[in-house]
Amino acid sequence: MTTATDERAGSSATTPGVRLQRWLRRHGWTIGVWLLLLAFILWYATLIPAFGEFQIASIARNSLPTVYLALAQSVVVIAGGIDLGIGALMVLANSASARLMEDQGFAMTLAIAVGVVLGAALLNALVGLLIAVSEIPDVVVTLGMLFVYSGLALLVLPSPGGGTSPGLRFLFTGSETGVGTNYWMPILMLALPTALLAWWMTRSRRGLSLYAIGSDLGAAYLSGVSIRRAKVVSYAVAGGFAGLAGIALTTLANSGDPRFINALNALLASLAAVVLGGIVLGGGVGSVVGAVAAGIILFTLNPILTAMGIDPNTTQVVRGVLIVLVMMVAGLLEWRRRRAE
Amino acid sequence: MREAAPQADLLRTHEVAKRYGSVVALRSASLAVAPGEIHALLGANGAGKSTLVKILSGVVGGDAGTVNVHGAPVELRRPLDALEAGLGTVFQDPALVPDLTVEQNLRLTGVSPERVRGWLAHMEVDVPDLDTLVKRIPLPILRLLDLARALAHEPELLMLDEITAALPGDYVDTVFGVMREWRAQGHSVLFITHRLGEVLEVCDRATVLRDGADVATVTPSEGDERTLVEAMLGEGAPTRTAGHRERDGAPEGPVVLEARGLTARTALKGCSLELRAGEILGVVGLEGQGQERLFDVLSGDRPFEGGELRVEGRPVKPRSPYDMIRRGVVLVPADRLHALLPQRSLRENLASALYNTVGSWLTPVRGERPAVEGTIERLEIDTRAQRQVRRLSGGNQQKVAVGRWLAAGFRTLLCFDPTRGIDIGTKEQIYRLLRELADDGAAILYYASEFTEAPVICDRIIVVYDGAVVTELDPAEADEATLLNAAHGLEENVT
Repeated sequence: MTTATDERAGSSATTPGVRLQRWLRRHGWTIGVWLLLLAFILWYATLIPAFGEFQIASIARNSLPTVYLALAQSVVVIAGGIDLGIGALMVLANSASARLMEDQGFAMTLAIAVGVVLGAALLNALVGLLIAVSEIPDVVVTLGMLFVYSGLALLVLPSPGGGTSPGLRFLFTGSETGVGTNYWMPILMLALPTALLAWWMTRSRRGLSLYAIGSDLGAAYLSGVSIRRAKVVSYAVAGGFAGLAGIALTTLANSGDPRFINALNALLASLAAVVLGGIVLGGGVGSVVGAVAAGIILFTLNPILTAMGIDPNTTQVVRGVLIVLVMMVAGLLEWRRRRAE
Repeated sequence: MREAAPQADLLRTHEVAKRYGSVVALRSASLAVAPGEIHALLGANGAGKSTLVKILSGVVGGDAGTVNVHGAPVELRRPLDALEAGLGTVFQDPALVPDLTVEQNLRLTGVSPERVRGWLAHMEVDVPDLDTLVKRIPLPILRLLDLARALAHEPELLMLDEITAALPGDYVDTVFGVMREWRAQGHSVLFITHRLGEVLEVCDRATVLRDGADVATVTPSEGDERTLVEAMLGEGAPTRTAGHRERDGAPEGPVVLEARGLTARTALKGCSLELRAGEILGVVGLEGQGQERLFDVLSGDRPFEGGELRVEGRPVKPRSPYDMIRRGVVLVPADRLHALLPQRSLRENLASALYNTVGSWLTPVRGERPAVEGTIERLEIDTRAQRQVRRLSGGNQQKVAVGRWLAAGFRTLLCFDPTRGIDIGTKEQIYRLLRELADDGAAILYYASEFTEAPVICDRIIVVYDGAVVTELDPAEADEATLLNAAHGLEENVT
């Protein structure tokens, strides 16, 4: 409206400075969350006497499942949906892989891992197809899937158990026993999928189509985007990452755990990471990179509070307060910006 | 292909039909566009123009009929099919995804940014930076971006669905320039507009749709606006009865809304006006002269910094629209769906303003039904698609936007471009309604982006330029040239 003239005048000259400014503004949230994560880790470092490789490796390793699941949820939310079944799908992948991988060699477990990821992608693609064709709201269908996946997990693995190969444990955790100081491997496993997904989401035509349907269905359709296909793709990618999260869990614990509560906790963590990561529920806005930092932050709260000698049960409270606080700060900034206009 | 074609037409549709549920949008539309012509598609709202364009662009599938391009039948199942057949479209609604940058939008549709940039430069539009989020770009520029993107596909037939509705005058000329150039290159343009002046100015032929069927194809230079209007409305087209009527000696009403030296950031620089009961005060201005902010401020939507606002003599500093609505000052915005609850029913929308008057949470709303029914009758709202307001035609939606205030009661009506994109028949109904309301003692502030509108319905006209009211005109003397001069801030001693 009133900015029309400013926009017209301002757009003609784009110096590197202007570009940098705009880049910072556009990715402000993502940068902010990463800075927050950095602050938390530094804080943690001052809290304990010996902060070193072991702690970094531990944080990177143990946040893997949450991060993968945050990526999964991000993709669906950016595309305008929401997947309540994602945590249960992770548990299903965890249970199935732990059962199948027990007493197998590295090559076999790797093959199983690939199979489980693809299987989870396919399963969730069907969910996406169901939503796209039936036009039943995402929440309803995926709520149903939460129970379906959880039930399947119990069928596959009735009680906690199973195992995996040391080689696969090394691949995800940087250690054949699940403990150690090698932090490069888990950080690589964090960074590589994130970078690939972020690149695909913002650079490829298919990835952009997910942003498009989340932002404005009508405009996306008029732009020639196949709404159904984009929807199915978003759920398939999310399923794949949920599968990956399940495998990561298996390698961390060297077993599977089919209990329902795990599915719920994981689901809520993924939603919290998405919100904290700056992805707008409703779609179209945000970056998967922000959700990764948010996922790690949510995880890091545990060791920090333990180091501070606070009852671990408080963690949940702190998590909740943190989310609301961040959202309030963001709301305040947005309000100030609007007023300035 | 072109040589083998049995006829010379670039595009020929034969008895195309489309129904949405029980609503027939298109009964039987036949249309022929020759190579190298600018062809207008005319019709009242709901005549089926947009539906035909949607079919021709592959957005919706037709139920019956055939579409031929260069004599060969084409199947248009997806937007891509239309592009491959050489049919490019600029839709009525912006087709750029708001949360992506322009550059990402172009990548999404597989259009080369270089070509788009070339066209923008050619149109002398100052947006070379494609790395801007679409939602940060003003609507007129977006329309031109849509146009540039469509042109980058090099379509043989360029379809423009009401592209000029959201454009200020200078950009309209830009678009006309592009259309003529496209014709000069041997391509064709299918042009949809409600502004008959534009048709006479730029179009070679015109096909008129009425009630979902083609009723005439005319050469506009032969007929005048009148014949086109008659073709659009059918026989017995009403004359412009809503014209400005001198009050037969009625005394001037009291001032109900008064602004003195309003300032708001850079948009308003000391804006003053007096609005009296019983009058329609027209506001005229070029795009971006502060009129939008003026209406936002008067309706309580945005704050003002300096100056004074009085409602019925009492100073007001509204913090939200509610503060103004309570004082009987209500807004009818240009963006109808912005004001309405698109997914709710017609009746709920009409009653929505009533809920403000509910005194207590537990008191049931009284008199809702009669008020709503009375409004529907009075406004002659087409109730066929009443279950969801978003399914109503634009004109009917605008009637609902006015009607809900009618049901709730008000004293001052702020109308910001309420007839944007509305056909002549509905426009006249709205004019008539506003005049009736004014006669009943309402005060109406009326902004119209089309300069020809204000003299027709207003009692006085004020011109805004650069954030202030610069002059007042008598509608009887305000022809288009006078208004244009005044709107450009040029000296013209008319007061």
